[in-house]
Amino acid sequence: MQVEDGAGERRLVREAQDGSGAAMARLYSLHWRGAYRAAYLVVHDAAAAEDIAQDAFLAAVDALDRFDRRRPFRPWLHRIVVNRALDWARREALRRRVHGAESVFEPLPPPEEIGGELMTALKELPADQRAVVVLRHLLEYTPGEIARMLELPRGTVNSRLRRGLDRLRGAAEAKAFSEEGR
Amino acid sequence: MRDEALKQALREAAIPVAPEAEERGRQVVEAAYAERAAPARSGAENRRPLPRLALALGIATLVTALLLSPAGAAVRDWVGEVVESSAPKPEPELARIPGGGRLLVQSAAGPWVVQPDGSRRLLGDYEEASWSPRGLFVAAAEGRTLSAVEPGGTPHWSLTSGARVRTPRWAPAGERIAYRSAEELRIVAGDGTDDRLLAGSTAPVAPAWSPSGDANLAYVSGGGKLQIVNSESRERLAAAPALPGVSRLEWGANGSAILEASPRALRLREVRARKVALPDLGTARTLPLPGSGISLTGAALAPERQAVAAVVTHWRDHGTSSEVLLFPPGAEKPRSLLTVPGSLGEVAWAPDGRRLLVAWPGANQWLFLPVGRGKPRAVANISTAFSPGERVASFPRVEGWCCVR
Repeated sequence: MQVEDGAGERRLVREAQDGSGAAMARLYSLHWRGAYRAAYLVVHDAAAAEDIAQDAFLAAVDALDRFDRRRPFRPWLHRIVVNRALDWARREALRRRVHGAESVFEPLPPPEEIGGELMTALKELPADQRAVVVLRHLLEYTPGEIARMLELPRGTVNSRLRRGLDRLRGAAEAKAFSEEGR
Repeated sequence: MRDEALKQALREAAIPVAPEAEERGRQVVEAAYAERAAPARSGAENRRPLPRLALALGIATLVTALLLSPAGAAVRDWVGEVVESSAPKPEPELARIPGGGRLLVQSAAGPWVVQPDGSRRLLGDYEEASWSPRGLFVAAAEGRTLSAVEPGGTPHWSLTSGARVRTPRWAPAGERIAYRSAEELRIVAGDGTDDRLLAGSTAPVAPAWSPSGDANLAYVSGGGKLQIVNSESRERLAAAPALPGVSRLEWGANGSAILEASPRALRLREVRARKVALPDLGTARTLPLPGSGISLTGAALAPERQAVAAVVTHWRDHGTSSEVLLFPPGAEKPRSLLTVPGSLGEVAWAPDGRRLLVAWPGANQWLFLPVGRGKPRAVANISTAFSPGERVASFPRVEGWCCVR
């Protein structure tokens, strides 16, 4: 799939604001997978990730008229995705503590292909650390940008990132990215 | 290099995705976009705005531009401070429960009883708990075991069910406990004897006893119906379609109303008790929630009147905020009691109906809000108070506020 550059994306936002359904559809196509992946890596629940990605786009539609065309669309969308994913993960953690692990919905089986060990290790991180790791290493935001997205002090972002990476390192040494670290 | 490898792994790791998920979302988003675009176009075609409307739109646009532009960051901060300021300054620890009574609090370690002076005791390794009507016991569940435990932690009796025990609820007269076991709804006498089946198929929603002491119990059937059954005779007394997606059921207001709550909606249904006939489920009234893009995170019906407290989360593009709403009896619109940034949790009424306890996990606080006159109070460091000796403190859940009188 062709990736739009910054100017192309701004044009799509402008056209969507002006009523172009095709432009909105293009923005959706460009960003749904990234939004879904980011949400999934934070919540580790396919149904929830689908809802979160969808909700983020609905929020984007709601706010489209107010959106500043000079600002990039992608981080704005990711900010909504990750904040909602964090809220969901916190609620889910509380629900599990209170009601046990039983879920109304049957989750999809865990992946056992590429990065299975990493997924397992990532899932074991607290949601706050998962979100920061995903924002930094999947979506490639700087700690400063992450701090603004999550409305956290930059030091908090750095410490969460450090703790998350330290804990992932154990899994990394077993597989995946460990090979490059040896 | 390690960062690069991690990046690659995160990008390429296989994650489960339903094949139709993207398309499902696309249809919803396109529909929402079409709804948004249509009025905008028709508005342009019939443009003859009223001066006042134009002025309002102009002000709204100006405010929006200010908030979204880099130069408006200070304004946005100011708005954030205004929102935050509606929460009181927290006290460092719970020295007493405002208004008195005792709290039942579920933590990761188990349920705690909090005394009026703020002192607390962990009851044991139970997953769920609820008060008996006068607070003499706690019905506690762990795995397939249901227990009656004294507030000091001494178990009084236990029974083992065929499946995991969920949502035990003690009848107001004290003679029965209703609980769910797998899909079954069962009842057992208050002394642990006479355990029996009441309904074979129920939704995962806690049942609610009639507060009138008449042995009637409301529950949501597996088929999605709100049922009222007499727990002694097992007679089905009344039924009506339950609120779609209902997750919480409360029978309160002296028995005159049942509250149904889902993550998106609130409904209050009047119940008319009749001496010579079966109780009648009256019409259900949907309580209006403010705005779109919200979710309901807590709701509770007052013990003695048809007032409803609700906690809603507003999802906005610049972050979430939460609001505590009060629907006074018969009111068309709710009254906002408090707005804070981030997410609030559950809400519980004080037994005298004069205060609300609202959980604020993000700030690690409990908020005690007076419904009428009085000052709100906040108490900080809640998670550490209920996680002694644990490396990671988790925020507990308030299960009940018991027995002022």
